[in-house]
Amino acid sequence: MTTTTGTPTTQGIPVTTIVPAAENSIRMLLPHTWLQSRRLLTRWRRDPMTVVQTLAYPVAMLVMLDVVLGRQVTAFAGHDALYGTVPMVAVMSALLGSLAGTINLRRECEAGLPGRLWTLPVHRASALLSRSVAEAVRIAATTTVILAVGTALGFRFHAGALAALGFVAVPVIFGVGFAVLVTTIGLTWSNTGVVEAVSLLCTLLLFFNPGFVPATAYPGWIRPLVENQPMTAAVETMQAFSLGGPVAEPLVRILAWSAVLIGGCAIPLARRYRRALC
Amino acid sequence: MTSLASESTPIRQWWVLTARGLGSALRGGSMLTALIAPIVFTLGFYVPLHAVITRFSGGTVEYGRFLMPLIALQAVSFTAITAAFVAATDAVRGVDRRFAAMPIPAVVPVTARVSASTVRCVLAVAVAVVCGHVIGFRFDAGPTAAVAFCTAALAIGVILTLAADVLGTLSRSPEATTRALAVPQLVLGMFSCGFLPLEQFPQWAQPIVRNQPVSQFTITLRALADGNFDAHLLVPTLLWLCALLGIVGWMAVRVTGRRA
Repeated sequence: MTTTTGTPTTQGIPVTTIVPAAENSIRMLLPHTWLQSRRLLTRWRRDPMTVVQTLAYPVAMLVMLDVVLGRQVTAFAGHDALYGTVPMVAVMSALLGSLAGTINLRRECEAGLPGRLWTLPVHRASALLSRSVAEAVRIAATTTVILAVGTALGFRFHAGALAALGFVAVPVIFGVGFAVLVTTIGLTWSNTGVVEAVSLLCTLLLFFNPGFVPATAYPGWIRPLVENQPMTAAVETMQAFSLGGPVAEPLVRILAWSAVLIGGCAIPLARRYRRALC
Repeated sequence: MTSLASESTPIRQWWVLTARGLGSALRGGSMLTALIAPIVFTLGFYVPLHAVITRFSGGTVEYGRFLMPLIALQAVSFTAITAAFVAATDAVRGVDRRFAAMPIPAVVPVTARVSASTVRCVLAVAVAVVCGHVIGFRFDAGPTAAVAFCTAALAIGVILTLAADVLGTLSRSPEATTRALAVPQLVLGMFSCGFLPLEQFPQWAQPIVRNQPVSQFTITLRALADGNFDAHLLVPTLLWLCALLGIVGWMAVRVTGRRA
């Protein structure tokens, strides 16, 4: 990247002194990442499908679960069913948004946009980093909206304001991890069926986490899956942040899951991305 | 010239295009997803909710038995969503325009897609019946009731497929259509008396729940399976299906009329 600084005019002609700042310098990483993140966020905000999928559907789902199964699950669990459904729906919104983002990325690759951006003097890390930043911002925003709807339905924080921040941070961290995974998958297999299969798997996992019904309601043979899948860790952490209770154990689990997803996929993702450019 | 004439009859064209649809369904994996979908719905609804609903109803509701018609319905709706995906893919890749430029009657490509989808639908109903058996559903009223149940489920599936095909053709966006249809399918399914007994819904929601199409479909299917079938139970279902066909028929005429 080149920065233009100081424009003193000599004889009325503007003179621009061009300081060749390395496009891959650390100094450029932040502004470039933020610029590209803003592009992605604007795109999502203006794409009705993304808004519907990450906000309208999860909110509708939350209200519906409360209306349809609220009393039954509350009777079974002993606490309001919302302390399961609000975290679950927030995580669901994060995952669905990442899937939509992957499809958008694929379309952009077909149109040649990332390749075009690659020819510009842009920090090399900012292209992928900005996707994670944009995911994080989007998930924080949708989680806040879902929380607002949940509060209207009767959801409350019993563990203080700091815990509320933790509550929002969990889907953000896990969502970014999942986005890294699903983008890698989306760029590795050109068949749309694979993304569809991941989407189906996510929908299935939605039914098998303690946010839907308490873990004790599941029959014994499936409980190991319910208790050990990544979404469960996210839901349990968020439940502990809102309802109170020991937070450390599920928090460590969800951080470990996210770290594994990001650590495992970062290098393949960077390589796939470069290949997808040409 | 006789060979040319026989190859260009609409029936032959329909058969060729149906075979094309079935071939791509086998290769593309949509035949497999049609088989898996009922299993997924069974696992997703029955396994988590069995204990909850049994306890809440005090053991009066046999949830597996209760849920099976909805599983069949969700299974056929899933194949309809696949049909929307296929139709949108055909539209966006220009296959439709290509066919429109050939001496093929306008209804043949649509009919062929629906026919191929009907095969998926049959598989989905069959798997749904097997899943239902596993979770405790039985055709106690005998084979006639079983045949009536399967035929009705299939008929609903075919009409939904036709509707989805038209929507897909109009939208020209395979992913968006699939996603846009998947959630209403889930919402209507869960907000219906196929999912929970009507009296378990809040008082204010009961009229909406009772009269929406998926509820009426499940009421009809359950009545057919139980053998205590009453003609007046069929009326709302038929009206909903006719309304859907009417809207879709009108749209289909608009779509196929807008050829080339």
